Order: sequence, then structure tokens, then C-alpha cells
Amino acid sequence: MAHEVNLHSLQESERETILQVLYRDREIQNVEEERIRKLKTHLQHLRWRGRKNVSQEYKEKSCARCQRALGFLLNRGAVCQGCSHRVCAECRVFLRSARAWKCTVCFEDRNVKIKTGEWFFEERAKKFPAGGKHETAGAKLLQSYQKLSKISVVPPTPPPLSESQCSGSPSRLQELGQFKGFNKSVENLFLSVTTHMKKLSKSQNDMSSDKQQPATGPRQSAGQTERRSQSDTAINVATRKVSTPDLLKPLAQESPKRTTSPVLKQEDRLSSPAPTPLFSGGWRHGSLISINSTCTEMGNFDNTHVTGEIEFAIRYCFRAHSLEICIQACKNLAYGEEKKKKCNPYVKTYLLPDRSSQGKRKTGVQKNTVEPTFQETLKYQVEPAQLGTRQLQVSVWHLGTLARRAFLGEVIVPLATWDFEDSATQSFRWYPLRAKEKCEDSVPPSNGELAVRAKLVLPTEPRKPPEAQGGTGDQPSQNGQLCLVVLGAKNLPVRPDGTLNSFVKGCLTLPDQQRLRLKSPVLKKQACPQWKHSFVFKGVTPSQLRQSSLELTVWDQATFGVSDRLLGGARLGSKDEPAAGADACPQSKLQWQKVLSSPNLWTDLTLTLH
Amino acid sequence: MASATDSRYGQKESSDQNFDYMFKILIIGNSSVGKTSFLFRYADDSFTPAFVSTVGIDFKVKTIYRNDKRIKLQIWDTAGQERYRTITTAYYRGAMGFILMYDITNEESFNAVQDWSTQIKTYSWDNAQVLLVGNKCDMEDERVVSSERGRQLADHLGFEFFEASAKDNINVKQTFERLVDVICEKMSESLDTADPAVTGAKQGPQLTDQQAPPHQDCAC
Repeated sequence: MAHEVNLHSLQESERETILQVLYRDREIQNVEEERIRKLKTHLQHLRWRGRKNVSQEYKEKSCARCQRALGFLLNRGAVCQGCSHRVCAECRVFLRSARAWKCTVCFEDRNVKIKTGEWFFEERAKKFPAGGKHETAGAKLLQSYQKLSKISVVPPTPPPLSESQCSGSPSRLQELGQFKGFNKSVENLFLSVTTHMKKLSKSQNDMSSDKQQPATGPRQSAGQTERRSQSDTAINVATRKVSTPDLLKPLAQESPKRTTSPVLKQEDRLSSPAPTPLFSGGWRHGSLISINSTCTEMGNFDNTHVTGEIEFAIRYCFRAHSLEICIQACKNLAYGEEKKKKCNPYVKTYLLPDRSSQGKRKTGVQKNTVEPTFQETLKYQVEPAQLGTRQLQVSVWHLGTLARRAFLGEVIVPLATWDFEDSATQSFRWYPLRAKEKCEDSVPPSNGELAVRAKLVLPTEPRKPPEAQGGTGDQPSQNGQLCLVVLGAKNLPVRPDGTLNSFVKGCLTLPDQQRLRLKSPVLKKQACPQWKHSFVFKGVTPSQLRQSSLELTVWDQATFGVSDRLLGGARLGSKDEPAAGADACPQSKLQWQKVLSSPNLWTDLTLTLH
Repeated sequence: MASATDSRYGQKESSDQNFDYMFKILIIGNSSVGKTSFLFRYADDSFTPAFVSTVGIDFKVKTIYRNDKRIKLQIWDTAGQERYRTITTAYYRGAMGFILMYDITNEESFNAVQDWSTQIKTYSWDNAQVLLVGNKCDMEDERVVSSERGRQLADHLGFEFFEASAKDNINVKQTFERLVDVICEKMSESLDTADPAVTGAKQGPQLTDQQAPPHQDCAC
């Protein structure tokens, strides 16, 4: 919108009333954001699955969606109008109104556009191409509130907004970023700078790359062999566009780190308004999606009753440090779609507790059978010492139309008690399939524990009268500090060699959606890292904190330019998003309240990472 | 207004993710035409004759089942008073559809409809769906705006038209449901003209013909 909302004309009580509405709205937005994230993840997953490998030649005739080979005369496939890929007859969805059809991915793309409201944002962008695509009035108003609270500290007549900003905010880049006519060239500048930084940081094994990962990753790897349609990429582009202001943050934070100080300066950021809250949550929309495996891990699948057995053998080659799971067959499986008596089973394995996509192995999909024969070997590179800490999870899934999955049963084999040297254990065996355990469904699995010490530091001297406050950059109303010492973590999902190059990110989200981010140094080659690193969030008041949320995430630093792996995270704070409610267990909630209610005292917290 | 109960209501609804999609709807019109009452009747099925002027903006959430889909409506209630105008117009851009309301016993509120419509054209997207609603149709004795004039104006502006009463619960649900249907139609239209060449060509005339938008027959 071309104008700032002027709140000065309102009475204090009116402002308060409106603010309550804004907070309520933001809660709804948060839930909506979460829902949209899930939908997009699901779509992304569909795309990746259907993606042709770079190694796979395009002329090799196969369905772009289910990868099934296409014939020369029969079942030749046809080209989808949406994405120009050739797909087989089963991967087409006919639209209700017309004779036209779309391939499963294009159809899902359409669905997601409806469900996320993306269709509206696209239509709206035709009329307002300059504005932020997902920007909401509520977010803008909250910004105005923030400015207002800053200005009203200055006594007699408040200076015009623009002036106060220029003098108050040293961060020129950020100012440009939120300038109304935020034009293409500036945007490009940011992008190129960020890309440049990315290159730099790659060489240092740094972690700023994860911000761009979701947008660029899949498309880069898709390579030149694949033609992509507009509709295929539209949502990616949108996500990326909107997150552009967010790219500033790694920039702003990276530079001081390059010098020496591990504790980053936060004052600058406080004086600049928050970016649009919708979609600006860098890490949540970024690596979490790309790393965490698939929609099935988010509970997005159909449950059937579990029957049948699976036959497999487990071998470990001590010389090659290679664990082999030979999946032979299943029998008497339940139908994935009971009504249609359809079942397209496949087998998936993890070495728990690692549920990342790197730890996932899958067999091919067998079509239309409840007695599939796989005869496939899934391999893991694992150190012998690591084996004892892992559990092999073998699960059977049905792949339905539109990539809807149904869980058909699983077997969990604790490897600690497995005798790999006894040849008798290496033969094939039938294992009865079991349903997922209840607790696992409701409570996300733990990915280790993080020990933290926290203290809220408040000034001890009596408050100065408000008249004396103007002018200086040090605002007494905001000079509380949240001090955290990240002590260490244990039981993390380690790499196959039993180590990690881990670091911790802290993100404090203030009530106005402003995010303060800090990061610990990387500790190399340790399974139970002890960072003993302190995070200091400056300029926060207790009342702000009560409505803030603090997210601590533990990451494994990437090695070969891939994105860093999220090991787990925990969230603290009273203003939990309802959707993420599972994150905050009552115990840590209590501990967090203790931190807030007993200023200037250290509180120890043990957080379970999810 | 009982803001405590309001927010509880909002929270309960807001945590519910069990819906297919969300529409945002804005109710606009002169002060005291009955926008808040209309919303309360729809969302809570309640009515209070006392007049409490809305401060700036407020909203309610209601999930409905329509065309085999669960649709979550976030319905924004705006203050009619001029002094809140900068705040209320900020919300036009996020709204997919509008309920433009006047009071059939108040000539001035009817005369202002044209101005409200201009506001929509200025601040909202091009395909904004608008329903014109003449409220308080239970007060037949005090009527100053005839149904015919309301209908004519709606035709002229290209809006659909309802006369309603929040007090007697006449046409309230129907209004919202019709608006949802019209938004659904727009949605399918925007998605199924996937060919960029087609949409590009469509874009031109649509921008200019403000007087007579296409007639809407329900096909949703």
C-alpha cells in the first residue's frame, strides 16, 4: 500500500483495541502459514519423486510421474498440457468440467494453488505488481505500531517518519529493503550479493546457503534435461521472491562473524521494522522442508489395518562397513485402498534415530499386488561402533494415485543385540508386520537433548523518567537482555561414522514478528558436542518476551556443498503457534516461565529436540 | 464489545486446521448500517439492538461446508466512520470478496454506495466480488430506499443484490454463501485459463469494463 497507516489520530484505548485484533489475526495467519507449508512440502515431494535423474536420458521413454516404461505402440503415453512431460495413462487426472486432463503433479499443483490461496495472490499481483505478494494489512499495521512506540518516546512533536528512520537506523541496506519502491535492480543487487556471499561461504563450509536451498536446490539438480512449465515452478518462484528481504539477515550476520566476535550485534536490527511475517521464516520454510523426509513423516498418510509379513535378511560387511538389508518379499499385505482392492507396495528403511532423507532407502514400487516380490538390497555405510546404537526400521507402504500413501505395516529390529558374525542371522526370515506404535504417532520422535542455561537480565537501577530518554540510541524501555548459554547436546542423530560437525542456531521471534538470530561456532567431529557458547539477545523487555518464542535448532554442518542437516529443534515461549504445540512439552514450558519470572537468576533447561 | 469472549472464540477457531481453504471477506458501508450485527448474526447467530461503533477493524472466523469443501471464512468487519478510513482501506487488498452494505431506512447510506464501490475499485484486486446488501429490511415502515432502486444500482455497478435483516435473520446466510460461490467461480476461472496467452488477452478488456462485468450464473 502506498501510504503508511497513521495511528496518531487514534486514542490510546482505540489503538489497544485494534492491537488485540491484530494479534488475533496473526495467530490465524500463523496457523495458515503452517498449513500452507505442509501443502507445499507435499507438492514439492511429488515433484521430486517424479523428477528425472540427471543420469537418466530423457529420450528413454518412461512416464515422467511413475517412471514406468512407455511402449512404442501400446501405452505410449501422452504429453501433459501443463508441464509438457509425457505421462502414462494412469498418471492422468481428468478435470471435472472439461475433457482436458492434467498429469498428477500439475493437478496437484492446481489443488495446492486453490488450497493455499495462491491463485488469489497471483491475480492480485496483476494489479499490484510492486507490493509484496503475500503481504497482509495486519502485518503492515503491526509495523506501524512498532514505529509508533518508538516515536512516542520522543517528547514534544514527533518528527516525520522518514527523518526519524534515517537518523535512527544505521543499517542502510535494510532501509532500502523496506523502502516502498523496492525495485528490481535493488532486488537483483541483493540476490547477486547473496549469491556471492554464498560462494564465499561455501569455501569456508559456512551455513548461509540453507536460506536459498528450497528454491534453487531442486531446480539446479533437475538439470538441463528437464523442461519445466510455468505452473511447475510458479510456487517456487513465489516463495523465493517473498523471502528476498530475509536474505539480508544472513548478510547482516555473516560479516561480524567473519571477524572474530561470535556474539553478534543485535542493536541495528532492533531499530528496523520487521519483514512481512508471512513466509519470512527462513529456516522453517527452508531446510526443514528440504531435509526432513517426505509428507509421510508428517503424518500425512492413510492408515490401514496391518496384516501380513515381510521377508528380509540383514548382513553386515565388516570390511566395507556396509550394512545390507535384502528385501525379498511380502505376503498377505492389506490393501492400500481397501475399497478398490488396490495395492502398490514398496518398502522403506531408516536406521533410527536418523529419520533424515539421507538415511532413507526405498525399494521400487510393485503394482497391483499384495504378494510383492522385491529382491532388492538396500545398503548403508555404517561404522561398526554405530550399529549398536541404531534400530532398523523396515516399513511397507502403498503408493496410491496422487501420491497418496498408505501405511501397511513395519518391523523394527534393534541392531544392538544383533549378532552380525553369526552366519545364521544372515539368512532370510519372515517378520510379522506391525502397526505404528501409538506414542510415535502423537509425539514426534526425539532427536536428542539440548542442555541450556538461561537468564533474563534486567537493569537494577531505578527507571529514569521518560523525559530523559529521548535522543540516545540506548532506549531504557528496551534494555533487558536474554542470556543463554548453550551447554551441549547428546543423543543426537549422528552421521554413519558416529560424529557430527554441529552448531546451534537461536531465533527469538518477538511479538511483532521481528526475529533475532544468533549462531554458535561449529564443533567438529563430536557426537556429544559441548559448545558452552553464549547467546545474548539484547534490548528485549520481559513483557515482549512473554509473547515471544525462542527456537533453538541443532544443525550438522554440510560437507560437500549440500545444505546443512537439521538434527532437531525445540521451541520455548508462551505464544506458541497452536499447530506447533507439540514442540513445547509442559516441562520446558514451566522452565521457560521460570526464566521469565526470575530475572537475573540462571535457570537450567534440558530441551528435547524434535 | 465483549472482547474477552471474542478472542476466546477466535482462538478456538484459529487453531482448527481442518479445512480446505480460506477466504477473506470484508464488510463495508456507512456507519450504523448494521455491518457488525450482520456479522454477529452470521457467525454467532446473535443480535443486540444496542449500537456499539466498531473501533477500526474486527473479524470473526467461521468454517462452512460448501460445494463439498470446508471453507474457512475470515470475515472482516470494518468501522464505517471516516476517521478509521486509512486502517480499513488497508484491508481491501487482502479481501477476495466484499459485502457492501447500506441501510434501507437511511438515504444517505444508500447514496454513499457509489463511493464505496469506487474505493473497492481503487484498493482491491480487479476481480473483487461484491454483493450489495440493503440491511434492516424488517423495518418496512421506515423504508426510504425501495428494493427496486437497490436492484437498479446493483445492476449498474455489476454487483449482485440482496435485501437482508440481521435482526430477523433474513438472507444473512444466503448472502455469505452466495459470495463464497461467486469467489469459487472466480477461482476456477482464474485457474482454468491456464494458458498465459489467454489470460493475457482477457486481462485487457476486464480492466476497462467497469460498468458491466459478466453475468454470473452459478456453475460452481
